[in-house]
Amino acid sequence: MRDATVIGGGPSGLAAAVWLAEKGYDVAVVEVMGELGGMLTQCIHDGFGTRVFGEALSGPEFSERLVKKARLLGLRTFLNTYVKEVRIGKEFKEVVAVSPAGVQRLQTRVIVYAIGCRERNGFEIRLGGARPAGVYTAGMVQRLVNLYGVLPGRRIVIMGGGDVGMIVARHLHLEGVESILMVFPEAGFAGLPRNVQQCILDFGIPFRPRTVVKKVIGKERVEGVVLTRVDEKWNPVEGTEEFHACDTVVLALGLVPYTGELKLGVRMDPATRGPEVNEFFETSVQGVFAVGNLVQVFDYVDDAFETACIAARGVEKYLNSGLKTAPIRLSPGENVRMLTPQRVEWVDDADVPVFLRPAVEKANVRIVVRNREGRVLGGFFKRYVRPSTLERIEVPRSMLSNLQEVSIDIAED
Amino acid sequence: MQRIELLCTRCPRGCLLRVTATGSRVAVEGNECPVGEKHGAEEALNPRRTVSTTVRIIGARLPRLPVRTSEPVLKNRVRDVVAALKNIAVEAPVKAGQVILKNVADTGVDIIAERDMERA
Repeated sequence: MRDATVIGGGPSGLAAAVWLAEKGYDVAVVEVMGELGGMLTQCIHDGFGTRVFGEALSGPEFSERLVKKARLLGLRTFLNTYVKEVRIGKEFKEVVAVSPAGVQRLQTRVIVYAIGCRERNGFEIRLGGARPAGVYTAGMVQRLVNLYGVLPGRRIVIMGGGDVGMIVARHLHLEGVESILMVFPEAGFAGLPRNVQQCILDFGIPFRPRTVVKKVIGKERVEGVVLTRVDEKWNPVEGTEEFHACDTVVLALGLVPYTGELKLGVRMDPATRGPEVNEFFETSVQGVFAVGNLVQVFDYVDDAFETACIAARGVEKYLNSGLKTAPIRLSPGENVRMLTPQRVEWVDDADVPVFLRPAVEKANVRIVVRNREGRVLGGFFKRYVRPSTLERIEVPRSMLSNLQEVSIDIAED
Repeated sequence: MQRIELLCTRCPRGCLLRVTATGSRVAVEGNECPVGEKHGAEEALNPRRTVSTTVRIIGARLPRLPVRTSEPVLKNRVRDVVAALKNIAVEAPVKAGQVILKNVADTGVDIIAERDMERA
């Protein structure tokens, strides 16, 4: 029986697996695609790994570093292998997977889920109109262009002003498409300022805030879209409808944890839309961990990587019968949209990194940890917060001792 | 005199910088901190970007090889770099870091492979 089986061979899964293998644990990685690397394989732009490796790498370069380590360690990997079922027993767990070599029954003491996130689709925003060819998600466009050299079309409308949409806009622009228009319901781009400048403003790519696609027009192929202006509450403004000719619609509507492929019942957090985890990224099922974008969608692979390393330490504690105490619940307070981890329960000395998504854009704030009665336990000054940038604080364990519940909010400094 | 507007990319605040450059003298407005002033000056005098794109690869499992400039190139040369790679084709196998094209578009910078690609 193995010590740990990691499901998902992207950066987070590889990071956890490599960490454990380096310590001598018997680990296997199960990957559904034909190669390791996950979504980084198609993210050919640079800027990955500034914290983990101290330099700005491209996505493939970041994952190759992990893949090479995995190879040196002789890490067991199952490629083209789909996890069909997970069984949780008293003595051990079993991952039942379909591989080219037949059905695999992998017995393991620990499971680490690292299956990442998925793209939101047109149905989730009730995109109206016809269903012709030419409607793609942004990730699919990235795959087509960067892996296969196939342009999805010539005249492009991109829905969504987040990081993925901006990065895809730059690639399409440099590939020489005829026209690009970005539309989004917010007043400004939802992504990082870095991407606004380097993907959109650098190239003068046109964009329209407070604008959405009301419907897609076209029989066989997209012929255009009907655009409409929206107000602050994203309600359509009457009389602003306008036809815009295009042959391709790109859905860059954001990412959500890919929980649909979790084959067991774990407690979920409606805010992160991922599984609830403790400070070592263990889910509500003992010995089952969840890391990376499956837990909460991170802005940087460096953050996802860190969660995997934290989880690997937790796996080690679990395998060596580490102790737990009564859980301390962490919940988002005012001006915080979501946070990870949701509870702290292991007996350990290390400070607890907490990742949180601000709900507001504000200068000179304090991220405040409070007890149930609202008394301030500690605070962390931040010069500027905004929803597009995930914040990370390190809560000292001493701050949490003898508590059952704390909340974390963002207050004026 | 040259005027540019840009978003500072050094922190989440994303200040809108207005930079006026006269020769080598630069004035930055709109920055909330000294980091922004330095960033604005750099962007006015010497704006550089790493260019990532793909080239055709023959004999590999995939038809495209991701490549990038080995160092950032001047921002106004980005298009030339991409154009210079339009008709380039390489043959598998390729190793990550391998030089695909020397001194691309006379920028003094090389194009390197972002990943290994074996012969299929």
